[in-house]
Amino acid sequence: MLTRFTLYLAYSIKTSEWHHRNKRFFYDLLENPKSKIKPYFDIFMITLVMSSVFILIHEVKNESNLWSIYFEHFVVSIFLCEYLLRGWIYSDIHLIIIQHHENTKYLGQPFSLAKVSQQILKNKLGYIFSPSAIIDLLAILPSYRPLRILRVFLIFRLFKLLRYSQSIQMFTGILKSKQFELTTLAIFMGFLIFIASTAIYIFEHQSVGGQIDTLYDAFYWAVVTISTVGYGDITPLSTGGRLVTSALIISGLGVLAFFTSIIVAAFNEKMSEFQKDKIKSSIEKSKDSIILCGFGRVGQEIAQQLYENKKNFIVIDPNKQHADLAMQKGYITLNEDASTNSTLLHAGINHGAKTVLCVTGDDVINVYITLTSRHLNAGINIISRANRDDNVKKLYQAGANHIVQPFSIAGLLASEHIGQPVAFDAIQGILHQQKEGQIDAIPVLKQSFLDGITIEQAELSQYKTGLLGVISSNPSHTKRRNRYKLRNQHFYFNPEANFILNEGDILVLLGRQLSIEFLQSLIEKSHLSARKEAL
Amino acid sequence: MSDNSTAIFGYNSLSFELIAQLVKKQTKIIILDSDPEKIELAKKNQLIAYQLDYRQDDDLIEIGIGSTLNTLFCFLEHDSENVFLTLSARSLDKNINIISLVSHPESAEKLFSAGANRVIDPYEICSNKVYQLLSKPHLTWLLDHVVFGRADLNMAEITIPENSILDKTSTQNLCIHEKYNLFLIGVVDKELGEKLYFSLGEQDHMLDVGDILVILGAHRDIKHFKKEIGIID
Repeated sequence: MLTRFTLYLAYSIKTSEWHHRNKRFFYDLLENPKSKIKPYFDIFMITLVMSSVFILIHEVKNESNLWSIYFEHFVVSIFLCEYLLRGWIYSDIHLIIIQHHENTKYLGQPFSLAKVSQQILKNKLGYIFSPSAIIDLLAILPSYRPLRILRVFLIFRLFKLLRYSQSIQMFTGILKSKQFELTTLAIFMGFLIFIASTAIYIFEHQSVGGQIDTLYDAFYWAVVTISTVGYGDITPLSTGGRLVTSALIISGLGVLAFFTSIIVAAFNEKMSEFQKDKIKSSIEKSKDSIILCGFGRVGQEIAQQLYENKKNFIVIDPNKQHADLAMQKGYITLNEDASTNSTLLHAGINHGAKTVLCVTGDDVINVYITLTSRHLNAGINIISRANRDDNVKKLYQAGANHIVQPFSIAGLLASEHIGQPVAFDAIQGILHQQKEGQIDAIPVLKQSFLDGITIEQAELSQYKTGLLGVISSNPSHTKRRNRYKLRNQHFYFNPEANFILNEGDILVLLGRQLSIEFLQSLIEKSHLSARKEAL
Repeated sequence: MSDNSTAIFGYNSLSFELIAQLVKKQTKIIILDSDPEKIELAKKNQLIAYQLDYRQDDDLIEIGIGSTLNTLFCFLEHDSENVFLTLSARSLDKNINIISLVSHPESAEKLFSAGANRVIDPYEICSNKVYQLLSKPHLTWLLDHVVFGRADLNMAEITIPENSILDKTSTQNLCIHEKYNLFLIGVVDKELGEKLYFSLGEQDHMLDVGDILVILGAHRDIKHFKKEIGIID
């Protein structure tokens, strides 16, 4: 009967949406390092720990008042809840029961409640005896009145801070990674202290006229001396004692230097790892990002522009020098080969990234990166650089959406210079998007003041801009002259005064940056106010 | 060698497009390169090409610098080579038009001080274009076709000739949009210097002989306009 009830309970928990949601929430709150709410919880807990320890210090000299007792109860109950919740999310009891049930069913053996409880107990004991859980428990226990004597363990609350601070976790991680070296050092130090304290005990015991009474005194002296602290409360008087002291001080220096170098080396080793972790988490957080493969001349210029316009981007370059330069400039950088799947996946090609730029100087690599990116993500926008004409077709085949050819643009520009030097300057100015004259595209938004009126009524010249043309997919314009095909829409050059603008059309304007931005903000404002009215 | 020809130093991937464009425009060009294999290749493609060491001033004089050449393109692979060539050519001819490629931004200044008239940085243009593709994809298509004349739309510059109907007209009364179906991009008003003023309705310019209009439009409309103002018959 009890068995059946337990099984029923286990299965119903397994299917309970509510249970999963809650467990997930507490996991996010307490354990998940990537969750957004954990940092808030951590800060809250740190404040609690600090204030409870502060009250403890205060009570050393002062009488405790009622409020501090209430506060103590509050803190302890929070700690207790946390302890139990951590125990709860440590493992799933119902899964153990179900697993056991299925195993026994398969083997044709009877389901034993005792065995299952044993397994569960073993599992949960694993939690109870984990170091952090012990610290948590020790922080709670002293508040229980019969155990008042353990008050000093309240200090363990400070150890609780370990849980909530990443830098302390980092430090313990470093210590762990150098476990072998540190153990060796500890054994060596233990030997040294043992030998030195025995020797000093023999040479400097009170019976032979020294200051040492017990073995504990000798041990205390050895520790003070080996650490090069040397209080001087116990000083050797005999020649033998002084010899031991000198030897211990010299070896103490060695031990200290060894210890320091171990820690520094461990930090150095771990630092790059931590940096990588940091890069990884910043990539995971970024949305609508751009993956920039190749940090050569072109890559650097693009990165500069992206950085200035506050766009999210990730630089990938296998060249150490280039990657270092990118890191120096503060860009998110991966010093890896962009043509491998794992690098692109790291960079977030399947989550967060919207465009891949292949701008290395080598067409073969560009083709390869393009192919890899297209293979990994069928919908992503790929812009690639082609240095040679023959490779343009290959890049399109590999899946590039747009191709830029630096040398052919330069050649085109240079050829414009013959016979048309002024036009050449105009083109260069426009290409560089200089402030005093640039071409820009502004969309006509729904119900903005431009929606539905003719170009004559719009009077764009009052904003000191010239209308080069309109990009529109509206079928009503298809009979007009000066029509140029542009993918699935048309570009109408120099449109006539009776051309009616509609939502979704794009104005192509020549003007100063200032006036274009002004016009854009006017359109946006009128669009927003129209929407507000509609609501 | 005939007058008013153009020399291109460097037959390589940097200059292929330039050569293709110039051939299309029927400009007289000669190709120069120090590598005999490249010269062979150029000759195979029916171009006039000579093998030449750009470091020898005598050779430079022989091909016509200081006499028949009026434009020189330095499309060598290294900035240092281009600077050297620019310097040599400028010392031989004060008036020759020198356009050079530059691959490092800091070399641009050196090229200018060596005497180059124009400097083109392909990497900078490329990165600008990539950025444009990212931020304004519509525009890129337009610039590709309009600015580089890949569609029927072209940019042209027109110097106002003597006895033209445009002499002493103000830009506001030009009505170039309505009459000729053209877009006026800017004006170089010689009274105000060599600067190009974009036509944004900020300032009215009185056109005189010698002023330059930069216009945009379909090929036949530009031709029609040129006929009207008396540049071509």
